[in-house]
Amino acid sequence: MSNAAKFILLFLLFCIGIYMSLFFGGSESLNFSDLSADFIFYQIRLPKTITAILAGAALSVSGLILQVIFRNPLAGPYVLGISSGASLAVALSVMAGSGLHFLPGFFWAKAYTVLSSIVGSFAMTILILSIAVRVKKNVILLLIGLMISQICGALQTVIEYFAEPESLKNFVLWSMGSMSTTNLQDIPLLAGSTLIVLGLLLFFIKPLNAFLLGQLYAQNLGVSVKQKRFWLILISSSLTGIITAYCGPIAFVGIAVPILSRMLFQVSKQQVHLAACLFLGPILLLFADAFAHSLIKHMALPINMITTFIGAPLVIYLMFKNKQW
Amino acid sequence: MKQRIKISDVQLGYKKSGQIVQVLKDLNLAFDASQLVGIVGLNGVGKSTLLKSIAGLLPLLKGEILIDGIAVNDDAYEVLAKKVAVVLTEKFGGFNLTVIDVVQAGMMPYTNALNQLNAEQMKVVEEAIKLCGLQHHQHRFLEELSDGYFQRTVIAKALAQQTDVILLDEPTAFLDYAAKHDLLIMLKRLCEEAQKCILISSHDLDLLLKYCHKLLVITEDDICCIPVEEAKTNEAFKQIAKGYL
Repeated sequence: MSNAAKFILLFLLFCIGIYMSLFFGGSESLNFSDLSADFIFYQIRLPKTITAILAGAALSVSGLILQVIFRNPLAGPYVLGISSGASLAVALSVMAGSGLHFLPGFFWAKAYTVLSSIVGSFAMTILILSIAVRVKKNVILLLIGLMISQICGALQTVIEYFAEPESLKNFVLWSMGSMSTTNLQDIPLLAGSTLIVLGLLLFFIKPLNAFLLGQLYAQNLGVSVKQKRFWLILISSSLTGIITAYCGPIAFVGIAVPILSRMLFQVSKQQVHLAACLFLGPILLLFADAFAHSLIKHMALPINMITTFIGAPLVIYLMFKNKQW
Repeated sequence: MKQRIKISDVQLGYKKSGQIVQVLKDLNLAFDASQLVGIVGLNGVGKSTLLKSIAGLLPLLKGEILIDGIAVNDDAYEVLAKKVAVVLTEKFGGFNLTVIDVVQAGMMPYTNALNQLNAEQMKVVEEAIKLCGLQHHQHRFLEELSDGYFQRTVIAKALAQQTDVILLDEPTAFLDYAAKHDLLIMLKRLCEEAQKCILISSHDLDLLLKYCHKLLVITEDDICCIPVEEAKTNEAFKQIAKGYL
């Protein structure tokens, strides 16, 4: 099958995913004659669908960038502890922010959370990168990432221990990861920031391709490695940060989708994989979400459960397939 | 003869866990167009450091290096990419990279922001692939290649970069006997026909003696550039060859 045909197929799946998420999510299919159905559609399913599309695209692109920069196909925002860094930062900022009422209005309060989340994931990416230069084996980096996310988790538990009961409940629900925590008011900031950051990547296609040959060759090919790497890390952690602020840490999408993309498209051109991630990520999350809502009637399973079932076996498969780890 | 590389008052080294390790000092060298220069020296004497520094991949501790009159430093990457190409000992692979992908990467300094190649550039890539004998391996993944073919791929990338200066760090290491000779013959021809300046480090002394115009002999306490004819009488060279040649 040609690559164009594959993209058409992806687009079809993407449309099916949107349709399912809009019309079959929740417990019953919608009957548009009454008012509550209208409310459910506009206030619950539409924002949920948009969120799933944005989160899928952003997390998989974020993972793709990390894999290229680390030259490690087992890198991803969740497995390297970057999502945990973001959620720890959110926990801290929410705790600190609960005493502060200087943020007027809904928009700025959200922007504050998003910004803390970005700061958290950026700090964590820098930390992981500084460890990565000292580590030779990809798998060791993965283990360090897991340990760091354990540490973040433990710190988060300490914060939760001191939290107010009401905010604790919200926080725990958020930290389980969900596409349904946004409403229509959230969409402008979420969509605006995500799309702008994704758009910036158009300027980084050459560096992404050059980085595949390693830093020295990339530099010899005219890429100012330090500068481009800094920007790419900022973009990757912003994407993870924005999504984590709204949806909580989402497991394995960031690592699994780029791997799937490379299996599907046997090319090394990163522009192809960027485009593929923009479809594959949303497809994965839309279907995972539909599945989470329909497996048991009147109950939504945590979406992380489903993404883990898809992502973790992929990682194991890759470890078996490549003996070089 | 046009001067390609000028090294004045240079001190080389690298940082290791915060400390500066000095490798070579008081370097004053110049290399001209149409010269194939072999770099010889024992393991760890600084051949790789010298090559990486000339390409601007390692910061200089002191001094200045000019390539075609352009100072090698952090601001000049984009210009330098069209002036000097390197073949290093570092390996890479995975991410679906194929032979032709790597050779095409050599065109990167000349492509647009989306990294697309035009017909003319595709021709350069094809030519480089042919010169390195890779026609039948173009679409193989890097991890499927033998070390020798990987080496050829990286050399083809350097050729595709169309630079006046090419620096090769032990490119003969994994090649089979005939391929080593093929490579040196090709490099010599490139030097003479296209007025390139090529520096090649290698432990295959007999090859260098046979094909190079000059030798850069590096020992712990001295560095000298001699015409290849004088090698057999040069003390430093004899010390490196240890009487086996």
